[in-house]
Amino acid sequence: MNTLSTRLKSVPSFTLPLIAAIVIVLLPQLGLSVTNQRQVLLIGFLTLLVSGLNLSLGYAGELALGQPAIYATGAYVAAYMGEHGSTDIVLQIVAAVAAALVVGLLTGIPGLRLGSWSLAMTSFFLVLLIPDIANIFPGATGGMVGAVGIENGTFFGVALTNYGYYLVVVLSVIFWLAFMRNLVTSRHGIALRVMRQSPVLASSLGISVFRTKLLAYALGAVPAGIAGALFANLDHYVSPETFSFALAISILAASILGGATSVYGAVFGAVIMQLGPSVSTSFQQDALIFYGILLIVGGVLLANGVSGLANNAWKRYVLKGERATRTKHAASTEFHFPAMAGAKLSVKGVSKSFGGNVALRDVDLDAEAGKVTALIGPNGSGKTTLLNMICGFYPTDAGTIDLDGVQLDHRRSYQIANLGLARTFQTPVIPAGITVAEVVLSGRYSPERVSIAAAALRFPRYWKVHSHDQEQVAEILDIVGLTDLAHEQADSLPLGTRRMLEIARALVSKPRVLLLDESASGLDEDEVARLAMLIRRVRDAGGTVILVEHNFRLVLSLADTIHVLAQGEIIASGTPADIEVDPRVLREYLGVKDVDAAAAAIEADTTGPQR
Amino acid sequence: MMTLIWSSLTIGAVYALVATGYNVVFTASGVFNFAHAQLMMLGVFLAYAGLVVLKWPIIVVFLFAGVVVFLAAALEERIAIRPVRLAEAQLVTTVGVATLINGAAQRIWGPSPLSVPYFASNQTVTVFGGRVLPDEIVIIATTVVVVILLMLLSKRTMIGLAMLAIAENRESALLRGVNVRRLALGAFAFSGLLAGLLGPIIGPQTFAAAGLASAIALYGFVALAIGGFGSLPGGLIGGFVVGFAEEFTARYMNSNYPDVIVFVILLAVLLLRPNGLFGKARERAV
Repeated sequence: MNTLSTRLKSVPSFTLPLIAAIVIVLLPQLGLSVTNQRQVLLIGFLTLLVSGLNLSLGYAGELALGQPAIYATGAYVAAYMGEHGSTDIVLQIVAAVAAALVVGLLTGIPGLRLGSWSLAMTSFFLVLLIPDIANIFPGATGGMVGAVGIENGTFFGVALTNYGYYLVVVLSVIFWLAFMRNLVTSRHGIALRVMRQSPVLASSLGISVFRTKLLAYALGAVPAGIAGALFANLDHYVSPETFSFALAISILAASILGGATSVYGAVFGAVIMQLGPSVSTSFQQDALIFYGILLIVGGVLLANGVSGLANNAWKRYVLKGERATRTKHAASTEFHFPAMAGAKLSVKGVSKSFGGNVALRDVDLDAEAGKVTALIGPNGSGKTTLLNMICGFYPTDAGTIDLDGVQLDHRRSYQIANLGLARTFQTPVIPAGITVAEVVLSGRYSPERVSIAAAALRFPRYWKVHSHDQEQVAEILDIVGLTDLAHEQADSLPLGTRRMLEIARALVSKPRVLLLDESASGLDEDEVARLAMLIRRVRDAGGTVILVEHNFRLVLSLADTIHVLAQGEIIASGTPADIEVDPRVLREYLGVKDVDAAAAAIEADTTGPQR
Repeated sequence: MMTLIWSSLTIGAVYALVATGYNVVFTASGVFNFAHAQLMMLGVFLAYAGLVVLKWPIIVVFLFAGVVVFLAAALEERIAIRPVRLAEAQLVTTVGVATLINGAAQRIWGPSPLSVPYFASNQTVTVFGGRVLPDEIVIIATTVVVVILLMLLSKRTMIGLAMLAIAENRESALLRGVNVRRLALGAFAFSGLLAGLLGPIIGPQTFAAAGLASAIALYGFVALAIGGFGSLPGGLIGGFVVGFAEEFTARYMNSNYPDVIVFVILLAVLLLRPNGLFGKARERAV
């Protein structure tokens, strides 16, 4: 079992799909009949359509019902070109993809603004419009009769034979699936999964939620455009009937059936949906009922579809052996902490109210590089509000926030993250379904960028950043002592470990300001000690640390400057020594009446009073 | 001209009713029920079955349609909504319910439109210089009354206030002792009851047709987007806006254009006023 699993793991994950691809390419040579070749082609088109939907539904979490409309756009563009002498199929594909992208963007931008149902509806509407648009432009589309007289396709001047056309289709599908696989296994795939589960986390990692969703939706239009151009060359005939709402539903059903969050699931889904209906004639009549039930059951039960089951089995049987053989790797205490370029964060005269509720009034606060600045205060005093304003989740009512002179207020949260501000959350935000190493990797999104094209086509730039990613993730995991857990599912870890993981994710971006929101709460003593050591290291390396904390003792021992918030106002600022004896702080924050006794108690090193 | 206005108001009222159904469920449970138009269509088919096939008295038909669609909607909530957590998965399951109802309706009643008789006088009358059927006036009046009643209910009753509380903040409503699950079920069932009761009223205008739901779903959604999600009066006005846009383009351009024009209106509203004319903008929170 063990040797088998190691051997299985050393095989690259694309081996099986590659073998399948070669077989499919050779099928006509091996004597596949023309009728069955046609089925393969139709499965190919459907695979492209489903794969595009997977990108928007499975990875970005947006239901787009408009694939038939994009498909139609591609088909009509290619048909028009074919009727007017531009028969080169590559050229047709390029033009169809461009047109598909335009339609995708035009409908995606307004559709995405209100949330997922809004995109579902606008894209559904798009499908309904196909016959109308065809009728409005009868010259170009042939109206309801359809476009006829499309000339036979050519490939760089050579007329396409049947097998030539078959090859173009199959290779297009293979190329797209490879593109998609590379994309979702790259950091962009992780970014999509992070965004889908927590938009707030995504934007604090420097990912623009709107742009990423739009990108996924628009990219999902690309394979539909390709499929359209290919389809126009199948029968040299295009009519609006092909692009019905029933097609949209069967694409959705195929996506759910094969697993929306998968690359090759699209092929499974397409095979079933293409071959299934031809099994029985009575099926045609009941197709809608069947699809309806399938969508309900699929939506409820198989969130991950067939390929999800395969993936789980793979994890259970192959990766299990590996876990057992792994040796315990102790967290290193001696490590090289790279220098950090901290920046000065200044908050000046910031006020905020929600309705009539004043949350913050005229708050000033400076955090210097190479210093730990703590912010303490009772619950409801406005700490989190201030933090959220620094991170750009709320606009300020008055006052300014700047980072080394660059104004932060009124910028969007992802822009602020890209300026070098990293944070952790009061309740750790760790997306489900990704590993510890991938969580840390998601923090590398903003410091070093790789374009989608570079990632999906594996340009040298991708490999360069990829190796940096690997090095730095490993380094940070070592520093926080999580190397052993690198390949574990991150969301199932205990609280203390998740807090450490959040700090690792923040640190890997080499932040100019590190914001820690109650990182010590829920940690045991060892973990608190490790946290304190980490914070000191960051400070000594020149980083700017802002600590929002309830653990009074930890703050006293770590901070260079402490600011105390109460009822939305800073009531005291100073060194730990000042704050420790400040009567107002003791009264307001610690809630003690007898100031001397309390000061004596802290002196005597009791556990820090907490509220 | 006045005749055209009457027909615009009538068709607009139907869209407003769809938007109202979306709103009731959306406010109480945060779910966008893609299948609400299908529930209304089911009500119309049941009205046809009751009045034409079974020849029941009108009161019985109202009860029959109301109860059956009430149960269908409650069943939808239990089977397709409650076990599903992710919003996008709920969209998939509600699309599934919509597809299932469409398919079933087509299977039972066939693909061609069936005429639903109006239960009272069928004599055209002239009001404000425009010719109008009594059933058209009933549709318009019913819609306005339904929306006003729902507005009063949501502001004056505990259930209404609890629904608003859920829409505002689900968790604090839970903590205040609001039974969020039961209210979600109740909202679905109530929207179904409403859809069923409306069947005999809108049926004479819309006909019982398997393609009915898709059309009114989209136009009802545009009404909702124009009026703003969660706004009852917004949905009413949005419905009328869409009704006018559709009827006037069909009259003065040609029948290919209404869908396109309404779609352009939808895109424009989403781009320029994504919260609709009556919706409130919300601050984001962590």
